[in-house]
Amino acid sequence: MDRLIEILEDIQPDADYETCTTLIDDHILGSLQIISLVAEIEDEFDITIPTVEIKPENFNSAKSLMAMIERLEDE
Amino acid sequence: MQITSYISVAYLAVFLPAALLLYTIVPKKVRPFVLLAAGFTFFWFISEFLIAYLLISILSIYLIGLWLEKLKGKRAAALSAAADKEEKKRIKKQNQTRQLLVVLLGVLINIGILAVLKYSPFFFTNINLIMRLTNAKAGVEVPQFLTPIGISFYSLQAVSYLHDVYKDKIKADRNLARVALYMSFFPVLMEGPICRYSDTAQALYSGERLHYKNLTFGAQRIAFGIFKKIVIADRLNIFVTTIFKDYEAFDYDGGLILLGAILYTVELYMEFSGTIDVVIGSAEMFGVRVPENFRQPFFSKSITEFWQRWHITLGTWFRDYIFYPVTMSKPMKKLTKSARKKLGRHYGPMPASIIAFFCVWFCNGLWHGAGWQFILFGMYHFVLISLGSLILPLSNVVLDKLKIDRNKFPYKLFTILRTGLLVCIGEMFFNSRGVKDSMHMLKRILTTFTIKSWFDGSVFSLGLDPYDVLILVIAVAVVFTIGIIKEKGKSPRELIAARPIFVRWPLYIALVVGIIVFGAYGAGYIPIDPIYANF
Repeated sequence: MDRLIEILEDIQPDADYETCTTLIDDHILGSLQIISLVAEIEDEFDITIPTVEIKPENFNSAKSLMAMIERLEDE
Repeated sequence: MQITSYISVAYLAVFLPAALLLYTIVPKKVRPFVLLAAGFTFFWFISEFLIAYLLISILSIYLIGLWLEKLKGKRAAALSAAADKEEKKRIKKQNQTRQLLVVLLGVLINIGILAVLKYSPFFFTNINLIMRLTNAKAGVEVPQFLTPIGISFYSLQAVSYLHDVYKDKIKADRNLARVALYMSFFPVLMEGPICRYSDTAQALYSGERLHYKNLTFGAQRIAFGIFKKIVIADRLNIFVTTIFKDYEAFDYDGGLILLGAILYTVELYMEFSGTIDVVIGSAEMFGVRVPENFRQPFFSKSITEFWQRWHITLGTWFRDYIFYPVTMSKPMKKLTKSARKKLGRHYGPMPASIIAFFCVWFCNGLWHGAGWQFILFGMYHFVLISLGSLILPLSNVVLDKLKIDRNKFPYKLFTILRTGLLVCIGEMFFNSRGVKDSMHMLKRILTTFTIKSWFDGSVFSLGLDPYDVLILVIAVAVVFTIGIIKEKGKSPRELIAARPIFVRWPLYIALVVGIIVFGAYGAGYIPIDPIYANF
């Protein structure tokens, strides 16, 4: 989780990733940040994120992102 | 019977009530088939025998969906029987290639029909033009096809179904009637919203009974849509048509041309969003929620935000099926990773995004019509959005230096007005007869603009009298007020429903009387044809 928060803070520093659950809904992460985020996560966690996973439910909070990463790691 | 628009007596007084009546008197199991029959009948009324194209699309996505499902089943069986990791890898790769070819076949059928019917005349006209420029003697004959109304909308629905099955987002449906109903629900056939299978298919097929609240809320939404179209859009039509048709012959100054562009944008919004109100209201009557297509677009503070609020389902379609697939493709991801190292946090994702923005806006422009002015419209937005992203860090530095608070009202108002103006210029290109006209009009605005012509009475010689202007101001104020209420996260219909009966009913009656008394119909007015139905 710490690695993910570090990536998020590097991409968009202006958010509290421990508590925020509306990263997409409140436009804290826009499409440009999502592109960077996917590239960094894939590198860091050695997974491939398919485009169908790019949806608000997965990207709205650090927790939901982590859950997606763990799920993709298992596949 | 012929239906030319959702805001017509034939639809509102005959087709919709008949469909509702039939739907409610039959048993629950039969209701989806009533909706299906209504969809096909509706399509027949708007495009007659061209319904064959819709049937081909339905059948193609149904069969290809099942084919994909079969391949997925085979893959799962082969993987469980595989001896080692290497074999699994090989099976996955082989199966993936097959699935890709199958899904591409489906996309090719659906986009192919659209391309041939809608774009081949444009394509061959340009081929001839190039041949003439190169002095080639032979020309090709430009084919002409009859195009079914709504093809641009249902074709995108077809592609989204295929993509979502391919990507395991949904399971291929074994029920042909449900797929057919998803593709031909009559309220969305002509002008969208572009629905996803996961949005509407199950609700459409459930055959829920009609509810009083759905019927009344649906009727209110329909009435509001009619109000926007008949009181505002139709009233603006003569003025807008005159400016756009005769801007050169009558030598209008830049002020009047800009006013024409602004009022065309208002007209387009009132016409399109009004029709969508009728569409969503009609679906609501059957208890089906179709996605919203507008969210107060003129409160947007940037062009990007505008397109998240205007024709939303088209924007999300391009985002999900073009923007992300392009930016998330392997070479683009690689590009982003290396660019981030060299260009940093903000500019790192930019190269991949700009390539994807180009694809999106080229397609968006073409989707709106087969003409260079539509490509110009798309490229205009591509440039604005790309520039907006590129200069964002610089503009933040300038604003900080000037000590301008981005969260304060004056700055927000400035960004809203700036976005509105840029949108109006884009819509001016969109409504012009061609690129040459677009450029002439823009030149006139930039070189001969005076605000004087807005107030010296010129407007009254172009199809609007003082009475029209007064009604327009009041009607736009009503729509604007409702927009502010929605912008604050409240539902105007719920607010009204919570009021006592002596407040509620006068408001409903005022809306209906407003349409009847102040509607721009009869002598002296020319109602606009549905603009988006032709796409």
